[in-house]
Amino acid sequence: MAFEAEVLEGAIIYSNLLVLLSIGLTITYITTAVPNFAQGSFAVFGSYIALTMLRLFGIHPYYSIPIALIFGGLLGVAVYLFILKPLIDREAEIVILMIATLALDLILLGFLGAYSDYLGGITKKAAKKFIFTPYDFNIGNISAIFIVSIIVIAIILASLFLLLYKTKFGVALRASMENPALAEIMGVNVEYTRIFSWFLSGSLATVAGCLLPFRQEIVPLTGSIIIVSIFAASIVGGLASIYGALIGGYIVGISESLVTYQLSTILGSGVLVYSKVVSLIVLVVMLILAPQGLTGVKWRKIKWLKSILS
Amino acid sequence: MLQTKRLNAGYKELHILFDVDATINSKGITAVVGPNGSGKSTFLKAIFGLATVHSGKVEYNGEDITKVPPHNRTKMGIAYLPQVDNVFSNLTVEENLKIAGYTLEKTELKDRIDLALDVFPELQNFMKRKAGTLSGGERQFLAIATALVRKSEFLMLDEPTAQLSPKFAEHVFDKIVELRDKLKLTILLVEQNVQRALEISDNAYLLVSGRVAFDGKANELLEHEKFEKLCMGIQD
Ligand SMILES: Nc1ncnc2c1ncn2[C@@H]1O[C@H](COP(=O)(O)OP(=O)(O)OP(=O)(O)O)[C@@H](O)[C@H]1O
Ligand SMILES: [Mg+2]
Repeated sequence: MAFEAEVLEGAIIYSNLLVLLSIGLTITYITTAVPNFAQGSFAVFGSYIALTMLRLFGIHPYYSIPIALIFGGLLGVAVYLFILKPLIDREAEIVILMIATLALDLILLGFLGAYSDYLGGITKKAAKKFIFTPYDFNIGNISAIFIVSIIVIAIILASLFLLLYKTKFGVALRASMENPALAEIMGVNVEYTRIFSWFLSGSLATVAGCLLPFRQEIVPLTGSIIIVSIFAASIVGGLASIYGALIGGYIVGISESLVTYQLSTILGSGVLVYSKVVSLIVLVVMLILAPQGLTGVKWRKIKWLKSILS
Repeated sequence: MLQTKRLNAGYKELHILFDVDATINSKGITAVVGPNGSGKSTFLKAIFGLATVHSGKVEYNGEDITKVPPHNRTKMGIAYLPQVDNVFSNLTVEENLKIAGYTLEKTELKDRIDLALDVFPELQNFMKRKAGTLSGGERQFLAIATALVRKSEFLMLDEPTAQLSPKFAEHVFDKIVELRDKLKLTILLVEQNVQRALEISDNAYLLVSGRVAFDGKANELLEHEKFEKLCMGIQD
């Protein structure tokens, strides 16, 4: 089967954004054992920051990325310090933390709904449902969002790599992820690394959210739908490694976009609403083949792979 | 000097240590011996703030540190080498040594790492390898080396010679004596090799079922008429 360039382009844009979201989800899961069901709404929060900047100050969404990054980081830190940490300090189990993030998701949803009414009221333009494609432009034959999403993901991955491997704090962060008690013994304030990971996760989500409206229509509820793909990507990656989230994000993102597209050419555009089912199928197949996720697979032990490698 | 006063500690509700009074004198080696499961490791964890303290106090140089978070105890000059999980498997040997000196200045860190590598020159061959790929003995060397990198006055070692062949264990015992004599460190040593531990120690505590069953000079315990019996109780 051959895909039009446009479809492939869309799939890559979507996957780049999904990777940002699944890396964020994975990082906070590793450091604080919180499965954050509000990660999708964090992204929509970013979309609304971009919309606000656009409507109130005429700032193009691409320029809103740094602002979204900071606000998203602060949202992540606030959520951790005021909602999750008090529960963790009381030794809440993972189910309780999960329910807390689900409740948080509902609160964010309510807030975004109310805010979109407010924003729509003062700007006299619909804010309950919006898309940024009219604001995008072409660079040569390629849409700007394709290039921007690639630049953004490249910068973020490179900075993340430099941070984790080349700085003292990054090594401390990796040490705390592996064995927090031992990191404490070495004099690392592990709590700082947890707070930082929530900042990082929140900011990655809102950056993704800033760009997502170039790809799809945003409504306050979008986060609750996209969370399915985020979790699928992280779980495919094994939930325990940043690399896993990266690879999982691309596997889920690309298959979701291409499979749905392929089905829609056969069955009509009605199947588009079922795109998340594709993510879930990828997830289920993955869990059957490799219950520990991609990073749990002992690749060198797989015979056919060994014969290729040697 | 480090003191525990009527220390009752354990894990959450679980009560492991009962009314432990101990005084660890400066610039000497104090051995903690006792049967498996008697609470030796828990004792060190309680001193470092990694076990739950139900009542009683831990004082360091006269200051009550019972509620100080562990990373700040590191800054106060207390170092602790855990019995298990004492290196980061996913980090390289070099990164392990660097993180061990997390609280140090850059130049100082380099000096400390050089010092640790002087003591364990064999580690120089593995600097870029992940610690998880080292043999049990090599990993233990790395663990002790990380304890040396942390600049400390008070060093707690939980079974540093576990997993080492007799020859290397002897090497480590020599190093521990050297740390006391040359660097004037205060050392709290938990050991299964009771005989050797007591020979190099100044003072000793015997823990049985979470209570202090003997405290005094190490050679007294060594010559104690019940020592053989204690050892039998200890070693099986
Ligand atoms: N993290 C923990 N949670 C609950 N119980 C624990 C924990 N660690 C140790 N224990 C229990 O506390 C008791 C004392 O254990 P501890 O490790 O202090 O003994 P030990 O004297 O160091 O033994 P060994 O010589 O085998 O190392 C044991 O019964 C052990 O099962
Ligand atoms: Mg022990």
